[in-house]
Amino acid sequence: MTTSSKGSLAPGTVVTGRWKGRRYAIQRLLGQGANGVVYLVKQVDSAKLYALKMGFDTVDIQSEVNVLKALQRQRYRRGVTGRDISYLVEVDDYSFQGREIPFYVMRYVKGEPLRAFLAKRGGAWLGIAGLHLLRQLRQLHESGWVFGDLKPENVLVSPYGEVELIDYGGVSGIGRSVKQFTEWYDRGYWGAGGRTAEPSYDWFSFAVVCIHLLAEGPLKRAATQLPQTRSLNDLTAILRAEPALAPFREWLERALAGRFKDTAEACELWRELATAAFGRRRKPKGQTPRWMLGAFAVSLTLLVCALYLTLRF
Amino acid sequence: MDQRKRGWMQMKQILLITDGCSNVGESPVMAAALARQEGIVVNVIGIVDYGTIGELGSLEIAEIAKAGGGMSQLSGTRKLAQTMQMLTRKTVVQTIQHAVNKELKTILGNSSVVDLPPDQRSQVVEVIDELSENSPLDVALLIDASASMKPKLAAVEEAIRDMMLSLGARQGASRMAVFHFPGAHGGEDAVLDLDWTDDLGQARSIFQRLAMRGATPTGPAILKVMDFFRYGTLEGHGSKKWLEEPGRGEGILGDYVV
Repeated sequence: MTTSSKGSLAPGTVVTGRWKGRRYAIQRLLGQGANGVVYLVKQVDSAKLYALKMGFDTVDIQSEVNVLKALQRQRYRRGVTGRDISYLVEVDDYSFQGREIPFYVMRYVKGEPLRAFLAKRGGAWLGIAGLHLLRQLRQLHESGWVFGDLKPENVLVSPYGEVELIDYGGVSGIGRSVKQFTEWYDRGYWGAGGRTAEPSYDWFSFAVVCIHLLAEGPLKRAATQLPQTRSLNDLTAILRAEPALAPFREWLERALAGRFKDTAEACELWRELATAAFGRRRKPKGQTPRWMLGAFAVSLTLLVCALYLTLRF
Repeated sequence: MDQRKRGWMQMKQILLITDGCSNVGESPVMAAALARQEGIVVNVIGIVDYGTIGELGSLEIAEIAKAGGGMSQLSGTRKLAQTMQMLTRKTVVQTIQHAVNKELKTILGNSSVVDLPPDQRSQVVEVIDELSENSPLDVALLIDASASMKPKLAAVEEAIRDMMLSLGARQGASRMAVFHFPGAHGGEDAVLDLDWTDDLGQARSIFQRLAMRGATPTGPAILKVMDFFRYGTLEGHGSKKWLEEPGRGEGILGDYVV
């Protein structure tokens, strides 16, 4: 029953669907999730690029597809138009060495993982990327789902901070148990609550993701101590001590404690804090920097000299 | 026989955690095969922190799981909690999947979930997910506490607490019991550390009465835990438990009193 294919397929391999017959040429490996391997593929007939996920297990991958389909239906019904509708493109099987490997094809999104994005653009961009991410989560929560396995690797960011959640393997219906999680971002790991899928579960993970991105050292130290002594207090202590986290401290504290009415409220507070932080950073730049005044004086002198020289002859 | 009220299936699992070979008493592979006959799936985790588990050890682990209709996995103590949960969850899904496949065969002839076209598969998997989340689950943890396991027991205990957290989040009733083996004296093949519970709450330590003996009677210990599933006690055919636990006990007995 388990159709596992850990060895990755070589670029150029053409994957043909068993049921619908469409063909996809593998370009390269994009990444690996808990349920399968993701490739960049080119649809042979249309030459369009897509992401194709090959599952290790038929039931697991189908369960993931079911979530994606349900989300798509819900969005469609609510009349949300735009890019989200075409997320899932096709579901099929691939016969490979006498076995059926389940796969699904989705929209290919260019972007880089959250951590790489922030390393390149600077931690200040967390405000914007975070807001986009929270809005995605809000949509998910309002449709009755919880993302579950929220971690930096599962967040892709486009050059201007737009966010795409990848790997829907952990998405669980609200009220059920969280299907898949990663220990650092799991509130059970920190003794801070259960593993029932509810919006506060995602808030908590989101907060730990922020701590991880802006204060990795202290988080690592807290996470690797003896499990008996590990607790929510360690996270709160990091929040209070780390200057990098200061702009979002209020939000993060409430998220760790699960103290938001709903994700809309969480979004709103984040937006306020991110805007305020942006304002604070801009203020000193409001005055003209000294080097610019100097440069202006120099160029003015040069102009006068040049004029003097030209007019003299 | 394994079908219960409202369509939910009562699921029973033994999760054996060991770091070596059995060396006393009945073959654990045979014991696991017996357990499977009684509708109990046996999973095995081999702990490989210091050095290796040995070729013989890993072979035995795989054999026990195969005979018990379950899965086996080697794991360090750091990954133990994760491994325990992964095996338990996968086994639940697989048990349901087997049952669903059986139904499919009677309806559609020679067909399983994998053979269905994607649209029908989607509906069947929805049912599998639903049943996996809601079916009652009893997991008996059987911990090898022979001398070489001693330094790992703190980690094992932590992993047990973590697992209870995950079981507690399921929508179906989920219970756990904990045993270790061997016992203090020769005749005692397994010791009950924790009776069926759905909440570990208190900080009390799980393992008591640990004896440092070199013997590893894995087979006899599995047989003991099977008795416990059947009678709710380790004392064999004692009827004590019938009177003590009229509520939940009945449901379990229901599977056997046909």
